[in-house]
Amino acid sequence: MTGRVFRLLAADALRDALRRRLAFVVVAVALLGVATAESCTSFGRSSWTWNGQTLDPELMAGWIAPFLYGFEALAFVMLAGLLAADQLARPLRDGSAGLWLARPVGRGTYACARLAGALGVAFLAGGLLLGATAALLVGRHDLALGPAVLGAIAGALSATTVGALATLASLVVGRVAVVALVGMFVPMVALANALAAAGAELGGFLGLLDRFAPPLGRALLAAVAAWNPRVPAEALDPTAYVGVLALWTLASVAALVLAFRRLELPR
Amino acid sequence: MTALELAGATKRYGRRTALDDLDLAVPSGTAVGLLGPNGAGKTTVLRLLLGFARPSRGAARLRGRDPLDPRAREGVGYLPERLALPSTMRLRPFLRLHGGLAGLSGRALEREVDAALERTGIRERGAEPVGRLSRGLAQRVGFAQALLGEPRVLLLDEPTTGLDPIGVRDAREWITAARARGATLLVSSHVLSEVERTCDQVVILHEGRLAASGTLDSLVHPGESLEDVFVRVVSP
Repeated sequence: MTGRVFRLLAADALRDALRRRLAFVVVAVALLGVATAESCTSFGRSSWTWNGQTLDPELMAGWIAPFLYGFEALAFVMLAGLLAADQLARPLRDGSAGLWLARPVGRGTYACARLAGALGVAFLAGGLLLGATAALLVGRHDLALGPAVLGAIAGALSATTVGALATLASLVVGRVAVVALVGMFVPMVALANALAAAGAELGGFLGLLDRFAPPLGRALLAAVAAWNPRVPAEALDPTAYVGVLALWTLASVAALVLAFRRLELPR
Repeated sequence: MTALELAGATKRYGRRTALDDLDLAVPSGTAVGLLGPNGAGKTTVLRLLLGFARPSRGAARLRGRDPLDPRAREGVGYLPERLALPSTMRLRPFLRLHGGLAGLSGRALEREVDAALERTGIRERGAEPVGRLSRGLAQRVGFAQALLGEPRVLLLDEPTTGLDPIGVRDAREWITAARARGATLLVSSHVLSEVERTCDQVVILHEGRLAASGTLDSLVHPGESLEDVFVRVVSP
């Protein structure tokens, strides 16, 4: 019964998320991202010169690809957080959640189904964005597909983690606050991870984020840095970071379910 | 078997006590009217029984289980006082989803949805978004979803709100029909005449406490109306 209930509610949550105006923004961001990827990957053998010398296009692709793919994966993660910001809080606020929860529906099933609806839209946009970018990088510059697949997995785990944390936050604070939190949290964690990966000694808040926040940036960087021929293969361990991210995903969804089980529906 | 039960249930919202040490047991197949002035705790009773809120002290049981257990809510129909319908969802898919969650599927689901639309007189509205229906029609939609699958337990919070006189008469028929097939009913209402016509027991709450309870015959003395009893019990 639970699996069927989840499917029914998740399908409804997906339809609900697709009907919202924010879904158009998500599609627009995805299309803009694809256009950017198309533009950034359209350079040829003699496109780049520096002090009169033509730069090695393979090296150029090796630098551009991780940045491009990494930024787009982070955009996917941000979209997931923004879409999840009131996907559960809205039916609680308007009172419609009570009708569904009076049915034989578990609190955890309902919370996960609502999250799945938001993530469904984010994954559609993210799939389009990352899929098109990977196809352009592989097709135009003969880059390996492996880093793109690992990067997409890291992006998907990060999106689920951030989506679950945003939904959890939305049970406590308003939508604007959740949007602001997502807007600050994702770029700051990515920045902290990137600086630390580049060898910077981080202290203070950035240091804390790098050590204790979900390793969104590290997992992505480790996955896509393999495209850069200057980065030694032995310096990368993307699977370890992806594993840590997977644990974060499980923990954040579990925290959401536990918090929602304890929550009293608004009067 | 006791279908609905509150045992020493107290519910506090901050400093305010909405329910104070309330004992309530509704045996299966009984129709109970839950009465009380505004703020007496009627809606809180329903919220505790459905697991929407947890008692600050004491316990709530729905069909013998913790209301948070989804199995407790199998065969339960609920009509809230403030009915919030999804703004863009159309009526038929809305009922189909409710029927699916109630455990119906395939042809049985379609049959039940058709029957619910027919019964509540909103068949021709099937393609309209439920959120845009008038208050009275929305209340009919509320009844349609609550009655889907012939629930064994019906919790109705101010069921006649927003209904015109014909709607009120229809609602009375739906409640009576549910009672006739043996469903357990808990009807929270301000409309004493409706409770008199549809319920065989009455519970009167006042300031979160049990002020009176019993069968209509035992509470209403000769020459009195339920309104007289209500006023006598809740007046200072």
